[in-house]
Amino acid sequence: MIDMKKFILFLLFASLATAGMAQKPDSTKNTSSADSLFNSMNAVNKKENVVVFESPRLILTQTNETVKKKNLNVIFVHRFGDFAGPSGGGKFFYGFDDIADVYLALQYGISDNLNIEIGRNTLPLVGGLVDLELKYALIHQTSDNSSPVAITLIGQTGVRPYNSYATFGDRVSYFGQVVFASKLSHRFSIEVAPSIVQNNLPVPDLSGSPEQIFSLSAAARLKVTKLLSVVCDYAHPFGSYRNAVGFSDPLGFGIQAVTGGHVFTINITNSRAASEINYLSNTTSDYGRGQYRIGFTISRMFDFTHKETFNPKR
Amino acid sequence: MMKFICILLLALIIPKQNGGDLYLCKNAKITIYSSALIEDIKADSNFGLSVFNPATGELNFSLLISSLQFEKAFMQQHFNSDYMESDKYPRAIFKGKVQEHVDVTRDGSYPVTVTGTFTVHGVTKPRTITGTITVKNGIVSMASEFMVNCADHHIDIPQILFYHIAENIKVTVSATDILYKSPSNQ
Repeated sequence: MIDMKKFILFLLFASLATAGMAQKPDSTKNTSSADSLFNSMNAVNKKENVVVFESPRLILTQTNETVKKKNLNVIFVHRFGDFAGPSGGGKFFYGFDDIADVYLALQYGISDNLNIEIGRNTLPLVGGLVDLELKYALIHQTSDNSSPVAITLIGQTGVRPYNSYATFGDRVSYFGQVVFASKLSHRFSIEVAPSIVQNNLPVPDLSGSPEQIFSLSAAARLKVTKLLSVVCDYAHPFGSYRNAVGFSDPLGFGIQAVTGGHVFTINITNSRAASEINYLSNTTSDYGRGQYRIGFTISRMFDFTHKETFNPKR
Repeated sequence: MMKFICILLLALIIPKQNGGDLYLCKNAKITIYSSALIEDIKADSNFGLSVFNPATGELNFSLLISSLQFEKAFMQQHFNSDYMESDKYPRAIFKGKVQEHVDVTRDGSYPVTVTGTFTVHGVTKPRTITGTITVKNGIVSMASEFMVNCADHHIDIPQILFYHIAENIKVTVSATDILYKSPSNQ
């Protein structure tokens, strides 16, 4: 009988111990079984691509972002004449009388990661440049931080259709860039982009001017409100030729408004040209001489994903 | 004495099952709809999560905001970054209790009232939502439709927008919950 009592006591102890153990994970969270299943299911973090910049283009440089599949982005970049200096000021209505460059482009998403873009730069001083570009988002930044940076490749061919050149080859320039971009916080994103420009005929075509220019671009965006961001954009071409007097580094400041399918950017930059090939090769306008200008970029996205074929699992 | 031990053993086993069976759905279809000036805005997700405990009436729903698919990619981006701030508030969560008793062993359709809290955009509000629970062959289907007021959840609608969303958004939920078998119980 005593043995039996001992056995019962042992059983009680054992059951209490196991009950305590079994309830431990639940009781610390103070949740029911439904809640704990719900919480464990919710804890599974879905890996997602981070939107680093909300537009494919800032002021001077392009971002890592691409236009999504079957989307067409119509881009219009305008730079006015010098705000101050000898060709600016009140007489020229602070540059509004003049056009430094106009860039019109169509950018289309072949896939979510691959874009093709065709554009034309006016650039009255040089006589225009037509460019064809492929842009490929190689790596996306991910929400689980398995990839802290996004990497996008840009390849561009530019042809100068006007003026007289010895051969067709002399009209051609190439541009290649690798964009490393990262969204550092909810509001702040940066990018660094090394690039190379190859001008078959050096720009400017003077002795000592190299055909190839290495450069490094850097840009940042600070989101101020839900709609407005402050953008800063800078590029530095390397080489002793461009370190000499006469050249300056393109630098732009702007305010960007992103409203769904539209992106507006109002900016101030010393660069006259809108195209990478042009502004990296030959930026001589300088803030110090009043050769900065007001410019703007407008882009509008059209989505050709057909309603009937709209697949929510896309 | 043997009887007593048997009862004791039974008493030890019973509480393990007392929590009740759970019903789970990992692919609940959740649709949002807002009529707008230029075009109606509609998005849906097939990745809603639903957990139902028929014994206690507990009913929880959650939706990863970024899993909502819009017709237009830029609308989706805009919705996530500017309206819902889904990087800060990734989920919409409803935690409630079904007021009526739903017998999952008997086929039938039960109109239900679910009282609980609804959290969207980091703001939690008490809500009472009506819907229908249909039981057929042990499968528990749920359907509901309710309105969410943007201002209630501090979802600001920027003024200079081409794609306005309305102040109230209609949410449609349909889930098919099946008996959840915990891997550890197998």
